[in-house]
Amino acid sequence: MKEPQMEDQLNLYGQGFSSRLLLGTSRYDSPSLLADAISAADPAMLTVSLRRQISGSKESGQSFWNLIRESQRAILPNTAGCFNAREAVKTACMARELFETNFVKLEVIGDEVNLQPDPFGLVEAAVELVKLGFYVLPYCTEDWILCRRLIDAGCMVLMPWAAPIGTGQGPRNPRALRELRERASQITLIVDAGIGLPSHACQVMEWGFDGVLLNTAVSRALDPVRMASAFTGAIRSGRSAFLAGPMSAQETAVASTPQIGRPFTFDSHHAAHLARETQSAGKVGT
Amino acid sequence: MSQPDVAVVGGGLIGRCLAWRVSRCGARVALYDSADSQGMNSAAWAAAGMIAPTTEVIDSDAQISSMGANSLKLWPQWLAELPIPVFYRDNGTLLLWHVEDTGEAARAQSMLTSRQSQLCVRYLEGSQVADVEPELGSRFPRALYVPAEAQVDNRGFLKAVGLALEEAGVESHWETAIDDSNRPDAGIVVDCRGMGAKSDLRSLRGVRGEIVRLHAPEIQLSHMLRLLHPRYPVYVVPRSEGQLVVGATAFESDDRSPASVRGILELLTSAYSIIPALAEARILEFNTQVRPALPNNQPAILFDPERRILRLNGLYRHGFLLTPTIVEEVLGLLSGRSSGRWPCLNVNCSVASFGLLNTSAEMQKW
Repeated sequence: MKEPQMEDQLNLYGQGFSSRLLLGTSRYDSPSLLADAISAADPAMLTVSLRRQISGSKESGQSFWNLIRESQRAILPNTAGCFNAREAVKTACMARELFETNFVKLEVIGDEVNLQPDPFGLVEAAVELVKLGFYVLPYCTEDWILCRRLIDAGCMVLMPWAAPIGTGQGPRNPRALRELRERASQITLIVDAGIGLPSHACQVMEWGFDGVLLNTAVSRALDPVRMASAFTGAIRSGRSAFLAGPMSAQETAVASTPQIGRPFTFDSHHAAHLARETQSAGKVGT
Repeated sequence: MSQPDVAVVGGGLIGRCLAWRVSRCGARVALYDSADSQGMNSAAWAAAGMIAPTTEVIDSDAQISSMGANSLKLWPQWLAELPIPVFYRDNGTLLLWHVEDTGEAARAQSMLTSRQSQLCVRYLEGSQVADVEPELGSRFPRALYVPAEAQVDNRGFLKAVGLALEEAGVESHWETAIDDSNRPDAGIVVDCRGMGAKSDLRSLRGVRGEIVRLHAPEIQLSHMLRLLHPRYPVYVVPRSEGQLVVGATAFESDDRSPASVRGILELLTSAYSIIPALAEARILEFNTQVRPALPNNQPAILFDPERRILRLNGLYRHGFLLTPTIVEEVLGLLSGRSSGRWPCLNVNCSVASFGLLNTSAEMQKW
């Protein structure tokens, strides 16, 4: 019997999402613009900063919170602005109470200037939060040992950066990111931070990353709504390309249709190239 | 005593300006506010009083900018009609950025270009920056100069309009809170309560802002300065007698508690990065206020025909930028005509709604 076609879903701690985009909610010109960008982006989750965006008591930020809730998306509170594990754990607990969710994007910042994650504080906080029953999505670097420690701590999702927050540079260290993808093959990996263009997002999805988290690339575009849908398209394309299994790149042109009367294309340049290849690979020619 | 033609509820910036302008048209006006005549509880009390239509384009809709440009023409006329002089300066804004934040400057420039404000902006390089604002020295190799922007002393202005109301004999009821139970009888009630109208406007929200006032007579700034920064944007507005206004943070919250250490550190660190001499400035006050905002961060004029209440709200951080334009638009509406120039005001009523007021002879002058 044929299996019913399973929908390709993003899996975050056992919860399935049809979208692979997570969208940040800060730095939009207005809440309406944010709402329009959310509609265009169709994100799996929205990240909200407890410290940076909402100040004071639970009640005082209620209006903005209601606007976010009206979008009917899952909320991923973050611990932005925390510089050590203690602060991050405290903020996560406040966020759980306020937003009524176990999900938390764990940020422990090590450097005030480029907002680079503090790997030591991150692991410390992750251990604690997993014990407290949180579904932890740590914002980390692509360092394999750090990622392993986070997995050991019980994180089932990791969010390595492409580049520092807000830079929009795209993947700075593609080799390490791809290596991480290969080694952490059973872990959900979301590229968070440093994505500037839809092509960056498409690229990491082609590499097999499970999702992309964005904020500035959308909110600071001249037309955030249009940019949001551009990213959604790019992420879908990249995911489809990954699932479709890309062809292997070839060194030389390979005609897809045979040329009648010329079963082998063998000009002198090509012959010389092949000879070099064969030599360097140490193969015996046939 | 017969009922007034117009009762204005809320005596902050827009409420007292509306009462003043309506009274000048010869109509009978009453003004109500829960606080006293100083306006210390209003968002305008904390504001920096900038009228910066071009600069605002960077983070706001283009219509906010064109309404602001219209206000810029009205401000000198209004000030000339007040009983006492109010500090006003219209020599423009300098937009600055640190070398690391060139990306922010590029974004600001593309916003200005795409929203067609580039004509009002001059790009300064090298010594040109210090030629315009000598106090900056050679710290900023590049800047954008927006000559046609102004600022008004916010507190001086609130006071002057308060005096004008007295002179005009406007029936002012200070320290009188108004709600549904004691709504005044009048031809029409205009609700200008800002955050005070929260229970009547479901989508209204507060955006908390913190601001610092400094005294630094040795710093000779003559322009408004704005630092473009991805996380800590700040403005420094020089006032008379060596005073400076440094603002403002923005949090999605209607929390009015005193200024936070974080907020003040961010503001002052950013301001200090523009002018290190600020280290010697004296701190006069920290202030916190809540800006009333609608979801699109644009103002609205909303008519409730059942209760005959016209609500003006959502001026967000654009009180001084937009008030003259909105007040003139409302005067038009009350006299039975709308300019129709500002679709973003979301006027939800036809001018025919105000036919009643038209019958009064004085109203014809509007």
